[in-house]
Amino acid sequence: MNFKDLPPIKEQLMKCVRCGKCRSVCPVFAEVKNETAAPRGHVFIVQMLRDDKVEPDHKVYEKLSACLLCENCTVNCPSGIDIHELNAAARAYIYEKNPSLGKELVFDTLWTSPGLLKTSTMLMGGVQKLGLQKLARNIGLTKILPGDLSKAEKMLDSVPSRSARSQLPEVNKAKGEKKYTVGYFLGCGTDLLNPEVALATVNVLTLNGCEVIIPRESKCCGLPHIANGKLETARRLAAHNIKIFNSYEFDYIITDCASCSSALSRKNMEFLFKGLKIEDTAYAFAEKVMDLTVFLVDVLKIEMDGDNLSEKRRVTYHDPCHLANAQGIKSQPRELLQRIPGIELVEMKNANTCCGGSGTYSVTHYDMSMKILDKKMDNAMETGADMIATCCPSCMMQLRYGTQRHKWNCRVIHPVQLINDFYLHKPAKTAGE
Amino acid sequence: MEKAIIGKELVKILGKEKVLVDELDLMYYSYDSSFLTKLEPSNPFAVAMPTSTEEVQQVVRFAWENNINIVPRGAGTGETGGCIAVNGGIVLDLSTWDEIVEIDARNMQVIVRPGVIHANLNDELAKYNLFFPPDPGSSKMCTIGGMVANNASGLRAVKYWATEPYVLGLEVVMPNGDVIITGGMKSRAIKNVSGINLTKFMVGSEGVLGIITRIRLRCFPKPRARGIAMAVFDCLDDAPATVLDVYQAGVLPSGIEILDSSAITAVNEFKPEINLPAAEAILLFEVDGNPPSVDFEGEIIQQIAKKRARSVEWATEEKRMTELWEGRSVTATAAARVRPDGSRIFAGEDISVPLSRVADTLRAIRALGDKYGIKVVNYGHIGDGNVHTAPVINPENPDEVEKVLKMVDEIHLLAIEMGGTTTGEHGVGAVRRPYAEAEHGKAVEYMRKAKEAFDPKGIMNPGKVF
Repeated sequence: MNFKDLPPIKEQLMKCVRCGKCRSVCPVFAEVKNETAAPRGHVFIVQMLRDDKVEPDHKVYEKLSACLLCENCTVNCPSGIDIHELNAAARAYIYEKNPSLGKELVFDTLWTSPGLLKTSTMLMGGVQKLGLQKLARNIGLTKILPGDLSKAEKMLDSVPSRSARSQLPEVNKAKGEKKYTVGYFLGCGTDLLNPEVALATVNVLTLNGCEVIIPRESKCCGLPHIANGKLETARRLAAHNIKIFNSYEFDYIITDCASCSSALSRKNMEFLFKGLKIEDTAYAFAEKVMDLTVFLVDVLKIEMDGDNLSEKRRVTYHDPCHLANAQGIKSQPRELLQRIPGIELVEMKNANTCCGGSGTYSVTHYDMSMKILDKKMDNAMETGADMIATCCPSCMMQLRYGTQRHKWNCRVIHPVQLINDFYLHKPAKTAGE
Repeated sequence: MEKAIIGKELVKILGKEKVLVDELDLMYYSYDSSFLTKLEPSNPFAVAMPTSTEEVQQVVRFAWENNINIVPRGAGTGETGGCIAVNGGIVLDLSTWDEIVEIDARNMQVIVRPGVIHANLNDELAKYNLFFPPDPGSSKMCTIGGMVANNASGLRAVKYWATEPYVLGLEVVMPNGDVIITGGMKSRAIKNVSGINLTKFMVGSEGVLGIITRIRLRCFPKPRARGIAMAVFDCLDDAPATVLDVYQAGVLPSGIEILDSSAITAVNEFKPEINLPAAEAILLFEVDGNPPSVDFEGEIIQQIAKKRARSVEWATEEKRMTELWEGRSVTATAAARVRPDGSRIFAGEDISVPLSRVADTLRAIRALGDKYGIKVVNYGHIGDGNVHTAPVINPENPDEVEKVLKMVDEIHLLAIEMGGTTTGEHGVGAVRRPYAEAEHGKAVEYMRKAKEAFDPKGIMNPGKVF
C-alpha cells in the first residue's frame, strides 16, 4: 500500500497539535533533551515527508529511527495519535526509496527463514565460544554489519546452544483432562535466546489441561521488520502466520513474548492490513491471540497453593513496552507473580519505562540504548530484588546485559519460569478444582 | 550574514554539541502548539543551546554585532508562535539548561535556570514542604523560563494568581550583552519596593526585551489537604451563578474549572475511567489548606452547589482527585476527540472576560460556532473568567481553515467587547499582535518606546506582542 494512503498517514497526521505531552514521556528525549528527539517533531517530519517537503533519504531515516517505538508517547497522546505507527510507516517509505543490501540480507533473507536465523544465531554463539569473534572483530568484520553491532556483540555473549524448537515436539499432549487446544506462537527471541522460557510455557500449559501445538511452519511475527522499515515483509510474514495458524482449530493462540503478542494483536493487524482483502481474516486470527500471562490469569485462572519454598525471594517486575503500552497489560503478570508461593513482588520506580532494548534498537543504537538501560538498572537495583521478571525476550536480553554491566548478581526471568519451578515441587491446580 | 557563517560562529562560541544548523534539525524548531505554525512552520537560521550566562552573553553579543534576531524558547508548548523565528534568526533553546541552583527553604524561595520543568520543580520543592503555586495544564512539559516570559498561570490562579507575584528577581542578558540583576543584586528579601520594578516589567515580556537566565521565585508552604467538588448542571447559567455564590459565602477555592457539554464528551472519550456525567456544564471546585478548613469549605461549596446542580460529588481520595483534575487539564488537546476526523486547534483559545460576562461569552461563542458551522469545545478557568475555546476542524481542509480564522477573529473582538482581553495567560506572540491597538490604544506607543530603550536594534524576538 502506498505510504500516503496508509490509514494513520491519512487520518491521524493532521491531528497532532504539537502540545508537547510526548516530550515529557519519551525515554529518548529524556537523554537528548532537545526538540530533535521529540515525538511530536517526528510526527511533523512524517507530515513533511507526506507533503514532499523533505526528501525520503538516509538522514531522515536516521532521525526517525532514533525513536525506540516504545509507544509511551502513543498511550499518553491526548489527541489519540498512534505516533509509533506514523514513524514505522515513514521508515518503510524511506526504505522503499533507498533499499539497502545489508537490510535485505538481515530482514528479508535471514529473518524470514527460521532455519537460517537459527543457524546464524547459533553461529554467533559458536563464534563466541571458539574465540572467533575476537578474530572477526580484529579484522573489522563486525564493522560491516548494520548499526552498532561491533559494540553490541557482547550482548549475545550467552546464546544457548540448543533452540527450543529442537527440544520440543510439535504436539504436546495435555496432562490430565484436556480443556483447550492451544496454538503456541513460539517467537524467535524465546526460541533462540530463551529456550528455557518455551520449555516452561509448554510444561505449565500442558499441566493445566492444554494441548499445546507448535506449528513447525510458523515464522517471525514481523515486529523487527516493522521497526526496520520492512513493512511489506512484515505483511508477508503476518499473512503466512495467519494461514498456518488458521489451518488448525485452536481455541487460543498463545505467546509468551510481549512483542509477538503485540505484533499479532488486532491493533497491529489494523496497521498492517486495514483496507486490504485479508483484513477480516486477520482480525479473526487476532481475536484468538492472547498473551500467556493473560491466558493463565483470566482464562485458566491458575492458583498455586502452599509455601513449599523455604525462603521468600524478592522479584521486581519490568513492564515490556509491547505489553504495557501496546496492549495495556500490566496487572496480569503482577497478579501471576503474587500468586506464586515464596515470591514477594517489589515494585521498581518507572517499571513501565522502556529498558532501551526494543528489539534491534540495542544493536542499531547501542550508546543511547545503554543510557536508557542504566536508568532502568538504577531503578531495579534500588528495590534490592533477587530477580527481575519480565515477559519479553528482548527485554530479558537487555536486562541480563544490564545486570552484567552493573555487576549485579540478579536473575532475569519470565514469570512462567517461576511457575514452572513451583510445579516441579507441586502439581498444578486450577480454580474450581 | 549567511546562515552557514552564523552556524560556524555559533559553533566557535558554544561547541558543536550545543548548536544545530542542519536544515532537518531546524525543522524541529519550526513549530510550537499554535495554529499559526501548523499552517506556516518557520525554520530559524540556527539553534543555540547555551547552558551558562556567559554562553548566552556571547551568543547575544554576536547577534547584536551582526544584527541577527534572537528568539528565546523554552519547551515550545506555547500557543502563539512566540518562540518561533517568524522573521528568521537564532532560536535560543533554553530548555536544556535545567538546573535548580538553590532551594533556599529558610527564605521560602528557590533559584532556578530557565529550563527547569514546572512539575520537576514542584517535585523537588515538595521535599521541603514547599511549592510554587501557579499550575499550568502543561506542568509536565513547560519550563519555568517560559512561564516567566509569558506570565503563565493555570488551574489554580483563582487563589494563587499567575507567575508574576512569585518572581522576586531575575538575571537578564540584555540585547547588547549586558547582564542585569533585577529585584536587588544580593537580595533575598521577599518584599521589595526599591526602584522601578524591572522584574515585573520583564515578566510576561515574551522575549522582546532580553533573555532571562536566572529566576528567583517565592515559594509557599505546601497545603496539607485538598478536596475537589464536582457539580453537574443542566443549565449553563447556573454554573457562573454558583461560582459567585461561593465567593459571596466567603470561600476562595484554589481553582474553579468549567467544562461544557462538548468538553465533557472529549474528556470521557480520552479517559473513560473518569466517567463524567453528561450535562450542560460541569464545575470543578478545588479547595486546599489544612484538613479542617478543607472539610469546612468543601461542605459550604456542596451546600451552595446543591441549590442548582443536578448532582454534586465531593472527592478527597487521591486517585479520584487526580482523575478529575487531570481530566480537566488534558481537555486542551483531548478536545479533538469530539470529531473523529478533526483536530483541535490553538487559536482564539485564551480569552479572559469579567466574571459577570462568562455565561454571555460562552453563549456568544456557541453562536459563533453555529454561524460558521464549526464544532467548538469550551472549558476553562471560570473562577477568573479565563475561557478556553477549542475549535475542532480538519486543518487540512482550506475551507474550514478560512472559516475558523474568521471565527477566531470574531472571538478575539468579542473578548474586547465584553470588557475582557484576547489573552488571559497564553500570551500575545505573533498571533494576537493585530489586536494590540484595539486593546491598549495609545499605551502601545509607550510599550514600543520601552522596547526601544531596551533593544534599540530590535533584534529581540521581532514580530511579537505589538
